[in-house]
Amino acid sequence: MNTLLLLYHSYQRLCRPRQLLTASAVLLGILAHGAGASETEVSFVNDIVPVLTKAGCNAGVCHAKAGGGQNGFQLSLLGFEPAEDYESLVKQAHGRRLFPALPHHSLILRKASGQVPHGGGIRLEQNSAEYAMLQRWIEQGAAFQTGTEPKLVAVDVHPPRGLIAMKGQQQLTVTAEYSDGSLRDVTSLSLYESNAEALAEASPDGLVTTHDLPGTFAVMVRFQGKVSVFSAAVPLGAPVPNLPPPANFIDQHLFANLQQIGVPPSPLADDATFIRRVTLDIAGRLPTDSETIGFFGSSHSDRRVQLIERLLKSPSYADYFASKWVPLLKNRRDEASDITANFAFHAWVRDNLLANSPFDQIVRELLAATGTVVGNPPAAWYKRVKDPKEQLEDISQLFLGVRMQCAQCHHHPFERWSQDDYYSFAAFFSQIGRKPTGVRGEDLIFHQRGIATAQNIKTGESLRPAALGDEVGDITADEDPRLRLADWMSSKNNPYFSKALVNRYWKHFFKRGLIEPEDDIRETNPPTNPELLAALEAHFLASGFDLKELIRLITNSKAYQLSALPNEHNLADRQNYSRFYPRRLPAEVLLDAIDDLTGTTTAFANLPAGTRAIALPDNSYNKSSNFLQFFGRPNSQSVCECERVQSSSLAQSLHLINSDEIKAKLADANGRAANLAALDSSLEERVTKLYLVAFSRKPQSHELQTAVDYLRDTLLDVEGKPIDGKQALQENFQDLIWALMNSKEFLFNH
Amino acid sequence: MGGQAGSTVEITITSQHAENATELLFSHSSLTATPKLDGMGMPIPDTYLVAINADCPLGIHEARLMTRLGISSSRAFNVGAVPETTRQTPNTSLDTAMPLEMGTICNAAMTKQSVDYYAIQLKKGQRIVVDCAAHGIDSKLKPVLILANAQGADLLVERRGGSLDFIASESATYVIKVHDLTFNGGGEFFYRLALREFAPGELASRLPTIKTVSSFSWPAPGAIDQNTTAEIEPNNQHNQAHKVSLPCHITGSFFPAADVDTFEFTATEGEVWWVEVASERLGLLTDPAIVVQQVDAEGNLIDVVELNDIPSPVKVSSNGYSYDGPPYNAGSLDILGKVEIKTDGIYRLQVRDLFGGTRNDPRNIYQLIIRKAQPDFALVSWAIHMQLRNGDRNCLSKPLALRCGSTMAFEVVTVRRDGFDGEIELTMENLPVGVTASGLKIPAGESRGMMLLTADEGAPRGFSNASFVGRATIDGQLVTRPCRLASMQWPVSDQWSEIPSPRLLADVPVSVCESEFAPITIASALDKVWEVTAGEKLTVPLIHTRRNEFSGPTINLMGWSDGMENLPTMETSLTADTSEAVFDLAQTQKPGLYTVAFYGSAVTKYRYDPAAVEAAQAAVESAHERAQDLARKAAILADEAKKVPVDQQEAAKQAAQAAALQQTVAEQEVASAQKNLQDATAKSQPTDIVDIIVSTPIKIRVNPTDKAE
Repeated sequence: MNTLLLLYHSYQRLCRPRQLLTASAVLLGILAHGAGASETEVSFVNDIVPVLTKAGCNAGVCHAKAGGGQNGFQLSLLGFEPAEDYESLVKQAHGRRLFPALPHHSLILRKASGQVPHGGGIRLEQNSAEYAMLQRWIEQGAAFQTGTEPKLVAVDVHPPRGLIAMKGQQQLTVTAEYSDGSLRDVTSLSLYESNAEALAEASPDGLVTTHDLPGTFAVMVRFQGKVSVFSAAVPLGAPVPNLPPPANFIDQHLFANLQQIGVPPSPLADDATFIRRVTLDIAGRLPTDSETIGFFGSSHSDRRVQLIERLLKSPSYADYFASKWVPLLKNRRDEASDITANFAFHAWVRDNLLANSPFDQIVRELLAATGTVVGNPPAAWYKRVKDPKEQLEDISQLFLGVRMQCAQCHHHPFERWSQDDYYSFAAFFSQIGRKPTGVRGEDLIFHQRGIATAQNIKTGESLRPAALGDEVGDITADEDPRLRLADWMSSKNNPYFSKALVNRYWKHFFKRGLIEPEDDIRETNPPTNPELLAALEAHFLASGFDLKELIRLITNSKAYQLSALPNEHNLADRQNYSRFYPRRLPAEVLLDAIDDLTGTTTAFANLPAGTRAIALPDNSYNKSSNFLQFFGRPNSQSVCECERVQSSSLAQSLHLINSDEIKAKLADANGRAANLAALDSSLEERVTKLYLVAFSRKPQSHELQTAVDYLRDTLLDVEGKPIDGKQALQENFQDLIWALMNSKEFLFNH
Repeated sequence: MGGQAGSTVEITITSQHAENATELLFSHSSLTATPKLDGMGMPIPDTYLVAINADCPLGIHEARLMTRLGISSSRAFNVGAVPETTRQTPNTSLDTAMPLEMGTICNAAMTKQSVDYYAIQLKKGQRIVVDCAAHGIDSKLKPVLILANAQGADLLVERRGGSLDFIASESATYVIKVHDLTFNGGGEFFYRLALREFAPGELASRLPTIKTVSSFSWPAPGAIDQNTTAEIEPNNQHNQAHKVSLPCHITGSFFPAADVDTFEFTATEGEVWWVEVASERLGLLTDPAIVVQQVDAEGNLIDVVELNDIPSPVKVSSNGYSYDGPPYNAGSLDILGKVEIKTDGIYRLQVRDLFGGTRNDPRNIYQLIIRKAQPDFALVSWAIHMQLRNGDRNCLSKPLALRCGSTMAFEVVTVRRDGFDGEIELTMENLPVGVTASGLKIPAGESRGMMLLTADEGAPRGFSNASFVGRATIDGQLVTRPCRLASMQWPVSDQWSEIPSPRLLADVPVSVCESEFAPITIASALDKVWEVTAGEKLTVPLIHTRRNEFSGPTINLMGWSDGMENLPTMETSLTADTSEAVFDLAQTQKPGLYTVAFYGSAVTKYRYDPAAVEAAQAAVESAHERAQDLARKAAILADEAKKVPVDQQEAAKQAAQAAALQQTVAEQEVASAQKNLQDATAKSQPTDIVDIIVSTPIKIRVNPTDKAE
């Protein structure tokens, strides 16, 4: 009933303030205007297009399909181009889709209602309000514009946030705001999409129904290119007693969220777990046994703080985080001659991290790079990424967390970005000049004097630079517009730059971003803990974009130091960080860890002996290393961290269990097994040392006993005769190391 | 490499095709080298003691070997003012770090896939600058400098060819690590590491470096005005413009990042001002750009001219499939252009560095000159490069080492200044005996000429430092300018995989060798000036003096000249002893005396040092004879030892054993000589090589038509 009435209205003019809107108030308004509906002139833009969208006619798989739509009937995606849709519907195909003399005989109605065969099935029932709306529009002359209709300005969902019990419901109400100040209830015309179907679903009418999992979710609401979002939490409702005292604001916000949803956190991790976890996360390596023993022996109450400081100062930190950034910046070796540029670029990233250069400065040097690669290594990015469109898309996704690709061709369906936004952003890169160099494939990069513009391929309009809707002022012909973009990115009020970085780093340490995916920041993809994200942003900004300070803040938090072991309430938690989420070691870290455990090194072409895998400068080493391939080291093709494969595979298991590479490391004459077998100390001491290397902890008594018993086993040769005791011990140590290596405790950071 | 002025340093040479080098020569007389002798007074191969006079100018000098084939390519030799050391033992680990004293320079070569370690002692607050000369002294090393703590943990890194500038936070041992950017190494990856102390705030100078090719055009004679004006910051904005009067000579720096320097001047209609900026030519990684704008009555800015690079006067080879031009760029990223004033008024000139958007280095300086026209020219030359094979991408260092009977061609390019467009005569003097130079002048308005150097067939082995100049008449005055020589730092076999690195040489060394001859000499049958009338034909008989075998029966020859048009292209026989060049002159051919040479490429059977085979053969025979002689003696002594009385047997036995030992040594010498013979024979086997063939220059006088009538 409610829906029917709504559809008979073009607009609902409510004089009351928007914030006073309630579901009942909207309903009253609709009823009041329903009486006069037949008198209202139907607007193609404001009435017909939403009907087509709601019916799915202009979905990407239907008539908005690229390359002609369906059977010659082409509509714009989700109705973002009403003028084109009008042309297509009314004028194309000799006007056969409409029959003004007998509107109900119009092909559009007969097809959509199934009166004649329609590949898309029945989209509008003959007795539906939508059908009536279309018919009435044709009756009124099927005009494109009524001449008086206002423009849609915004869409609001009500309530914007909520707390819904498990297996509960919440009806959403969606209000459209128009340029004349009028408001309209468009609940039934809007599209709804939950970002966590396991937690909650939304019906086509905006009714949200939760399931039996606690957590947070969001429902994206779309109406005619405008979006709004409903964020909600589904509490578990368990008591949350005995929270650790907060170390910083991260704990305050994170624990507040846990209290709100009633999910008690796991206790703090012990020292052994912490030193292994934080060393892997900051330095990309296992702690040495002497580091671990020293840490255990420290009586300082702030030993964890001191450990974090030591790790942040270590070159391993720079190596490890360079290995995170460099693939995203596409440091890819396509030709053998790329080696110089790739080594220089990798080193530039690594050195800046080592020196803790402010992040905005690093980005500025990259974004506005000029000159030669050897003279100015960030220019290598422009060697790899030559297309201005790819430049803008990479920069926006990587440093702003905004995916602009869709907006090149059409209005972003989940976002507010239009083609004008896209090409205005592209204009920043329009004056990049290139001069040939003596190096094949490499140019001198410079600012080509001239007014920066980019042409919207659809409208033909030349657009001046604008940063995601923000004006950046006039840019003269002499000024490199990329510098202005860098200014904008690092400005205090930039809504994306800091957010994107802190979210990316949060994910590094917590496995899941506060916004997920980490590089898809948009209104319709809200953070699971907005207050925490905002506080992290503010802190990062106030610190002067200090990356080490951000890591220091995160790793010192109690939230980061929670145990990975679940309690009786938080096993299902995947997004509220009530426990540490274990994750498999990245390919390079795992290879280094295996080298550390087996007491060996891996040789890499062109690099000094002893170079660790986390210090590899580019992707070329993947080709020669099955290990790096199997464990998902990225090939520097994409700005998405998802290129790094963290999932498990049979190839990984087989490689660890039975590959020649691993067997050779275990049997290395100078490796750990050989060295342990040659020591004079007791077997218990040797096993303890091994556990310290592998797990940063001492073995438990039963583990120790099992290991010692195994080491004392006599081995027989093929003729059944006992083999030499020293040889047997060495082989037994190899077996023991193999067993530890193949344990989840070793393979995972936990 | 290098050494301290007033010292003697030991130099070890590694080279290709420079066996039995006889001399180590320098471009400055204050440097002299003598072979180092062993304990027996015999020269140690490839090792020299270089005496550096105390008054030797500091900086870079050229060092070359005089070899069987003539003068070698050049290596930079550095003369400094501070004590120098040479790394003697490997220092590729923290444990083996070599101690480095403050105020010294260490000479070393990088080991492949390794890092060199140096230990230094610093006091708290002490400021040091660690500099590494590599590319600038002809090394292939792209140095990475790292300052680390005593445990080797990196504290500060420099990978862009700059220096490390560090203030010690505590008194302690620190470590300097040096490695190649891509961890390359070997004898060609040498470096000089300087550790110097500077006061806080003091601008640290860099180690000297060789000159880039582009620098040949800076400065113009008399261009440097002692009364320079320093730019006054802030002058980034138009309303902050630094007011100057023309003409002027301004010094400034592209600092800080994205710096713009604005200058304002008044000018009058009809004036023409020439603007020159030097920065890249000073050896800096900069790309100056200028825009000149007029300020109209309302204060609006109207573009007058944009000035950018100095374009190469001739097309430079691209990185394409093969050569499509010389692999030398005589142009520059600097500026040389003019501003034509159309109306009286106020003008503003802004100069910026197109590479300076994000770089903060006060050492990125420039010199800006705005002057009335001072027509002039600068010259640079290099040995001709041409595509010899399909897909040929090698860039060779080509010293002026002439084979008897050969002609070498050098491309000469000019950068013209301030509107000068007259012709430029090219001459070389002070040549070795038997060597003649023929300059193909650069015609008026053009940029390219040639220098042809010919060694007579009977020219003796010789060497001299030649004078290479260009002469032109400018405003009625004869002006002489030097022609700088450019060469590749290293031969590059494929410019796709290794970047050619050309540079300027300090001098013009010319040599002749007697060891090898040109594979063929194509010369005019008569040593005379040929006469012809414009519009008529001239046939010049050519004689081929062939000394090698060739693959293929013919060679395609094209011509160079200093103004003669319609030069013939000829398919000439490589087996015949004679041929003809037929010149079909146009009526419009300008009368005058011309020089013509023909050139092409041919695959010839090359034998490397066949004389060495004969010498080795003789050595084998000599060793063999000696061995046989000793064997005979040993046999006699052994026989005698059996016959002598018992009391003499021990002595005789010892004598026989000594003789047997000598026989063994002699047999080893035979084996060694035979090995040398095998090596020499293998090297001397005929190999197909592509050679550039240039005819001996031919003089032709074109007479005017009316004279003939």
